[in-house]
Amino acid sequence: MPVAISVDAPEVSENLRRKRGYTFPFLSDQKAEVIRRYELLHPRGGPDGTDISRPAEFLIDRSATVRWENFTEDIRVRPRAGELLAAARAIR
Amino acid sequence: MVDTAARKRTLAPWMGLLLTLLGALSNGLPFVGFPAAPVPWISLLLSLIGFVVVLLGLWGAFGQSTVYKGKLSGSIAAAFSLLFLAVAIVFFWDARHIPAESASAPQVGQLVPDFRLWDSAGHSVSLTQLFSGSAGKEPPKALLLVFYRGYW
Repeated sequence: MPVAISVDAPEVSENLRRKRGYTFPFLSDQKAEVIRRYELLHPRGGPDGTDISRPAEFLIDRSATVRWENFTEDIRVRPRAGELLAAARAIR
Repeated sequence: MVDTAARKRTLAPWMGLLLTLLGALSNGLPFVGFPAAPVPWISLLLSLIGFVVVLLGLWGAFGQSTVYKGKLSGSIAAAFSLLFLAVAIVFFWDARHIPAESASAPQVGQLVPDFRLWDSAGHSVSLTQLFSGSAGKEPPKALLLVFYRGYW
């Protein structure tokens, strides 16, 4: 199950979730505390110099171990679905 | 005596201008649901090629002014294409300007820290709870944590 996390307020995330028709959870980390703990902070990367998360994806199993991850070098470049699905199939 | 009417028009500056404009605009493609994954360089490359074409046109207008006309139009095209090229360069730099200190982010094989955040319906949820599954649904075998930039 995907879980989306950003600094957006719950209302903003809910808007995006509805507009795109997603059914998985969207979590709000408005103070970027979890983003900081995961070492993903992009200082002043947002509009008006706000701190945001860099794009990053982690596939984790039930023991909370990372099984696959992706850090893009270019915000326009998204992860390849094939790699992710292969890693997901390997989890029993 | 040169017959000015016989000098050829050159479309090169305008073709080049169009290319640099397309290059700059193509930076917006990922935002309309067209990810640039296979060719992240395409926007910059288009603009660069366009600018070279404009320069070739200028060279025709100024260097071979007995053959080609269009000194004024060529110069205008060059000014605008330089602007679009600058836009493409700024977008290119900005898209790749991601902090590199994620070296200490969780790596494959490591455990990720638990957390508790508000979901978009106003419920407080933890990573552990997400794994336990919601009412009537089977608990997920895996989670894909997608951190995104927000402000969508």
